Amino acid sequence: MNKRFLAPIASLLLASFAMAEGGTLKIISSLPRTGSSNAQTTTMVNGIKMAIDEVGGQIDGFTLEYEDMDDASPQRGNWDASIEAQNANKAVRDEQVIGYIGTYNSGAAKISMPILNKAGLVMISPGNTAAGLTKPGLGEANEPRIYRPTGKVTYFRVVPADDLQGRVAADWSKELGCKSVYLLDDRELYGKGIADVFEKRSKEIGITILGREGVDSKASNYKALANKIKAANPDLVYYGGTTQTNAGQIAKDLRSVGVEAKFMVPDGCFENAFIEAAGPSNLNGKTYVTFGGLPANQLTGRGAEFCKAYVSKYGTEPEAYALYGYEAARVLLDAIKRAKTKDRPGILAAVAATKDFDGALGRWSFDENGDTTAKILSGQTVENGEFKFAKVLGQ
Amino acid sequence: MVVSPQWRSPALWLLAAAVAVGLLDDPLNLGLMDPMRGVMVFALLGLGLNIVTGFTGLLHLGMAAFMAIGAYAFAISSCDIYPFQLGFWSALAVTAAIGAIAGFLLGAPTLGLRGDYLAIVTLGFGEIVQDVLKNLDAITKGTQGINPLPPPSLPWWGENGFGWQEFGSGERPWYWLFLAITLVAVVACRNLERSRTGRGWLAVREDQLAASCMGIAPVPVKLVAFATGAALAAIAGGLWSSLYASTGEPGNYDFQVSVLALCIVIVGGIGSINGVLVGSVAMIGAANIALPKMASWLQQHGWVNSGNVLGSPNNWKYLVFGAVLVVMMRVRPEGLLPARLERKAIAPGGST
Amino acid sequence: MAMESQPSMWVDVFMQQLTTGLSNGMIIALIAIGYTMVYGIIELINFAHGDLCTLGSFLALTLVGLLGMDAWTGLPGVGGVVLLLVSCALFCASLNWVIDRVFYRPLRQAPKLTLLVSAIGCSFILVNVALFWGGIPMEVFGGGVAAAAPKDFPALVSDENLLGATAKMSFTMSDLLVVCVTLPLMVALTMLIRFTRLGKAMRAVAQNPTAASLMGIDVDRVIGATFLIGGAIGGFASVIYALYNNTISFQMGYRTGMDAFTAAVLGGIGSMPGAVVGGLLIGVARALSDGYIEARWTNSVVFGILILTLVFRPSGLLGAKLRDKV
Repeated sequence: MNKRFLAPIASLLLASFAMAEGGTLKIISSLPRTGSSNAQTTTMVNGIKMAIDEVGGQIDGFTLEYEDMDDASPQRGNWDASIEAQNANKAVRDEQVIGYIGTYNSGAAKISMPILNKAGLVMISPGNTAAGLTKPGLGEANEPRIYRPTGKVTYFRVVPADDLQGRVAADWSKELGCKSVYLLDDRELYGKGIADVFEKRSKEIGITILGREGVDSKASNYKALANKIKAANPDLVYYGGTTQTNAGQIAKDLRSVGVEAKFMVPDGCFENAFIEAAGPSNLNGKTYVTFGGLPANQLTGRGAEFCKAYVSKYGTEPEAYALYGYEAARVLLDAIKRAKTKDRPGILAAVAATKDFDGALGRWSFDENGDTTAKILSGQTVENGEFKFAKVLGQ
Repeated sequence: MVVSPQWRSPALWLLAAAVAVGLLDDPLNLGLMDPMRGVMVFALLGLGLNIVTGFTGLLHLGMAAFMAIGAYAFAISSCDIYPFQLGFWSALAVTAAIGAIAGFLLGAPTLGLRGDYLAIVTLGFGEIVQDVLKNLDAITKGTQGINPLPPPSLPWWGENGFGWQEFGSGERPWYWLFLAITLVAVVACRNLERSRTGRGWLAVREDQLAASCMGIAPVPVKLVAFATGAALAAIAGGLWSSLYASTGEPGNYDFQVSVLALCIVIVGGIGSINGVLVGSVAMIGAANIALPKMASWLQQHGWVNSGNVLGSPNNWKYLVFGAVLVVMMRVRPEGLLPARLERKAIAPGGST
Repeated sequence: MAMESQPSMWVDVFMQQLTTGLSNGMIIALIAIGYTMVYGIIELINFAHGDLCTLGSFLALTLVGLLGMDAWTGLPGVGGVVLLLVSCALFCASLNWVIDRVFYRPLRQAPKLTLLVSAIGCSFILVNVALFWGGIPMEVFGGGVAAAAPKDFPALVSDENLLGATAKMSFTMSDLLVVCVTLPLMVALTMLIRFTRLGKAMRAVAQNPTAASLMGIDVDRVIGATFLIGGAIGGFASVIYALYNNTISFQMGYRTGMDAFTAAVLGGIGSMPGAVVGGLLIGVARALSDGYIEARWTNSVVFGILILTLVFRPSGLLGAKLRDKV
């Protein structure tokens, strides 16, 4: 018998003691795990698991349990409203559940937010960016009131919303010397939302918009569209979309028909899968990616430690989604630690009171809407098939 | 006509099972009442498709489009950001009417088409509806979806005495209401099947030429089937969006949903009303109840290795779902509860 | 000056869009042939066909990775492409035959729609296989870390303009490749169906399986052969698709399948030339709609054309008028 075998037994024993002391606190994540978003949500789940492992799976004598729930169904291959509602209802029914990490798609959040709100269960999203979910005046007139039937804020997010990222992206493209832009979006909530903000900001700061197209994210190629863009001859092509809505193919087709313009995308593409899908040679030197935080290699303090641990565990640097997932789980765990009573109201109050949190995305707090106060975004370029930090945006 | 006991028993069994779930869900903590509401919505969609594909024999690959039209009609006539702001029941009535009109408008020019040509037209219609919902932001809010939508309300005893009570977030009233609506739809379909119209549908399905020789004009008969099916699908859409208080993205009503509806009807037993009910329990149950439970169980028992694509149970869902379809078709090619008429028609010496 | 150059530029862009549309259309047509052949013979909309082609593309990428083919140039490069074409055609042909054997043949006597659901189930299974395939820890699959992510397919065939680097229009090597593979294949296939014994048997079975079997034709063998040939064409298409688009993903079968099926119906399902015409038409319609209308309405334009065509020509463009077995 050696240490390798003893260690798990020891931790099992510890866990059982802990169980006797406090009880179980359950954390649930509800992310689309079937279908096209699988690659992104896998890294998110990795981040969440890392955060839980860091505290040794328990806090103040309470054992932490984590379940990775899927809000997608095989017949849809994408998030499914019935299943998202079902996950939320299940979480509400299970009294051990004290935190709900999700969702990935803002559309899914619209379904589960009111359900969780009524139960007073805290929800922390690692991926939603639609501004209307939290910010009055930026979405429909009745948003975000309709997501808070009890009037209390129970929904928080660690990612900056579209209104921030789309804006700094437009500002950055002006700095890069772009006078004209051709806008594309994937006709989904995230991509279209961010492209809308980009368009609005561009008009304010005097960038000419040569065209705006919503693309079919399932098309096999975009050569015809690229021909059209080539004829318009813009300085920049901005795509509001993600790797899974075919950003890689768009980059590829722009180059293959000879569009010389710069190409800019939001954080939905800040992952190696994007570079792999597009082919590095199609991106090198001409591609700009914005991200709602600092990239892994620019982090100091907590974030840097997380990166080191992540690299040693998964063999790659954490990407945008891993960081977001990790941050969402960590801010929840931090709140559990601070909570006076380890139940839903106690933990909700503690999450809402998060101040100057030393996280992987910087030092930030939750504001009264449940949004992160972190205003630091970053821009990167692609060089030699890798993301390269270019500058801090939005300060 | 003598009602034979064969058809009666499955229907009664199903009803008994549904009532049992309703009564035992809380005490036994089954957690079935919540997903079963979704099952019943899809049962309504399946009943609609069954009229078109099962009774009338027209392959329809765009049922989701009518569900979408229903959801959006319900949303636009009831949501407080639009001028109409109808209550639940009047909005649902409007929804059914709009669904029927949409079915009529699609059917009128295309019902002359044969078999699979009609199928692709319905498929194309589904894609066009998707585009319209996504692109006409001003009316449909595009990808945002429309919310919040009103829950049903019924006259009942509440805090302020007897009056119209809105449903809250508890599943129970929803469950019983949906069960009642499904029951009404089942009875309506059954009566329709036996009516003059319904016999027209079956006649057209069995032999269009013979039917027209007997004085049944195929196109009007098919049109009625199309519109009725569309109205049922629209009601399903309206209930679905009311259940989640949101239409969700237009993508919620894409081709995959049409395919799912088709699987429900065929797995259940084409042309069989009981079959549709069983089919929706089997299909939606597999996807929304069994598969998540399986994944959750495997996680709890530590059977998950996220470092490997094969290690995550979620990565097996397509395979399991596909295998369920294939095996069901192999074991019961006629469906789980085949229609009575069909069996009689293919039995040797059977008369029709 | 501007006034003079404008019309010619317009013509250039238009011709460019037409070229793009035709190249895309030929790929669609190749896949559509698989649909139309199977439909013609057993009246099944083979939902799994698009996903079969996905697996073909994954095999092609695996071979590229195993052999380090992206570094090959000149004659070995050409040989590499031929190798890909042949191996993927063989793979898809045999897989398609196995699919028929396992999923469809046991249901020959069952109602038509039972077969359809079996095909849908088969399609789900193939999608899952492609997902797993993308998780193989190979360099070309990004180390298999993100199994579901789209995969880059190396540009084995260059995007160099054959009309010269300065020409306003471009016709690239990959466009040429599409033409060079598609046209001979179509000719060969037409010959096969017109002039060989097998082709004759296939036509006979398509017309009336019972009569054909009474004439001593082994119907099951003929159907098997149809699946073999349809699969082989799909295999060719999967390689061309990968080389032309340079990205593959486990879910791509959905859109390629739907486009191809639409093409088959538009041309008149069951008709081989119809599938080709339908494919080309859809490719061109897509390109022109992207180019001159708006990309977000492209699907509506394509299906609008389809519905209008069918309203006025109920059997598709080249479909036979009298064949009603419904």
